[in-house]
Amino acid sequence: MDRPMFNPATYSMSHLVKERTRSLTMIVTISLTVAFLLLTSSLLFGVINEIGTSEKQGLLQGSIPGSIDMFETFQLDSELSERARNSLINYLMITSLIVFLVAFFIMYNTMAIAVKERRKEIGILRAVGFSTGEILKIFLVEGAMIGMISWIAALFLGTPFIVNLAAYLIERGDGGIFFVQPVIPPQLIAISLAVTLGLSLGSTYMAIIKPIRSSPVALMRTRI
Amino acid sequence: MDDGPFIKVDSVTKRYNMGHSTVNALNGMDLEIEEGEMVAIMGPSGSGKTTLLNMIGGLDSPDSGTIHIKGMEISSLNEGQRAQFRKNNVGFIFQFFNLIPSLTALENVLVPVMFDKDPPFERGVQLLERMGLKDRMGHIPGKLSGGERQRVAIARALINDPMLILADEPTGNIDSETAREIVSLFKELNDEGKTMLLATHDRIVAGRARSMIKVRDGHVVKGKAHSRSGMVHLSDEEKVKKKKRVVKG
Ligand SMILES: Nc1ncnc2c1ncn2[C@@H]1O[C@H](COP(=O)(O)OP(=O)(O)OP(=O)(O)O)[C@@H](O)[C@H]1O
Ligand SMILES: [Mg+2]
Repeated sequence: MDRPMFNPATYSMSHLVKERTRSLTMIVTISLTVAFLLLTSSLLFGVINEIGTSEKQGLLQGSIPGSIDMFETFQLDSELSERARNSLINYLMITSLIVFLVAFFIMYNTMAIAVKERRKEIGILRAVGFSTGEILKIFLVEGAMIGMISWIAALFLGTPFIVNLAAYLIERGDGGIFFVQPVIPPQLIAISLAVTLGLSLGSTYMAIIKPIRSSPVALMRTRI
Repeated sequence: MDDGPFIKVDSVTKRYNMGHSTVNALNGMDLEIEEGEMVAIMGPSGSGKTTLLNMIGGLDSPDSGTIHIKGMEISSLNEGQRAQFRKNNVGFIFQFFNLIPSLTALENVLVPVMFDKDPPFERGVQLLERMGLKDRMGHIPGKLSGGERQRVAIARALINDPMLILADEPTGNIDSETAREIVSLFKELNDEGKTMLLATHDRIVAGRARSMIKVRDGHVVKGKAHSRSGMVHLSDEEKVKKKKRVVKG
């Protein structure tokens, strides 16, 4: 018999696969959120720096390039009044914040239900001698896996989806059938990774930290 | 330091608060058990057997009193130290097996050593082979019978080669034929030097242990007066009773 891989990472993986519906829900939630935040932040970037003028054709100006740099895509007319500009900045910031908070709330709830179902398992792990720190590690590894998959999904699926959706909505079908390939600038790639891990690891930590510290006996008495 | 008994439980009390009422799960529990013993703990439901095993295994800590294992006071350890103590010294076996459903038999056995730098994979395989589960290693618990699951749980309890095995109603969920096999296995382990404590309602299981104590209302009612080895062995009277039952059955 081959020596099978068995370590905290494969342990987490087997659980993510077993609970694939829930894993998928979390991945879709995070990746769409991150994609949306990528869109709003690139817009914000464009508005704040007033990049793009009328000669650079952007989505908001009604032309559809095949491949676009997200920083240059959603340009605004530099003629925009100071007041309109400020309202737009506020609007984008508040929308982003709300979307982030709602996503965090959904993630936290999903994680809390998952943890509740796994109280007994946590109790077993405690009984066989794991410290709370080691069990926390197991769950954070799981959260990180969800996060990394979501991040990749956000970059390659979520963002093209959100950007094209925005483009179609703006065009209202005038542009015919088209596909915009967003090019995400490196700064945004790094920031989106941080946001993704904040969502997945933050919600995991918040959902697990209290149950993990209850007495192993109480945890194992859980009937599910 | 190691001169005292292997396990020494001294005036241990444990109360549980259930809303507005409190339950005295352990009430002045005194107990001494020598290394290499195989002791059955019997008593009515709610008498404190599980609570006692949990205390001895460092799963829970007493409200008052002390517990020494091999001269080390475990009742005053903090949770982190108790986890370490459990990992190195105790193997737990439960009535409901407590396996992790998403993992295969072999993975379940390896769970306690998951974080080790070089997990004793071969030992896990050997243990399962010894349990007669050679061709069940890749099965998840859902695909195993009760007896097979319990044998996986026993292999898991043995992976770190603990000196102490605590089994709480180990045969409570398996048929009597398989129960017999499991008890034989326990006896083998005991012959190899492991100290075994079995909480059980099953008289057959209890009868095959080397000695027995009875608990009621959170304290020992029989077996407290220690023999030279620190334990009372089955009295002749009980052995006769047992024989009669066997003859009748
Ligand atoms: N975590 C807990 N919370 C509340 N009450 C508890 C807890 N653990 C045990 N008890 C109570 O303490 C008493 C002793 O329980 P324990 O489980 O030790 O008994 P037992 O002898 O193992 O019984 P059984 O044979 O039914 O398993 C019972 O009245 C039980 O309801
Ligand atoms: Mg019990």
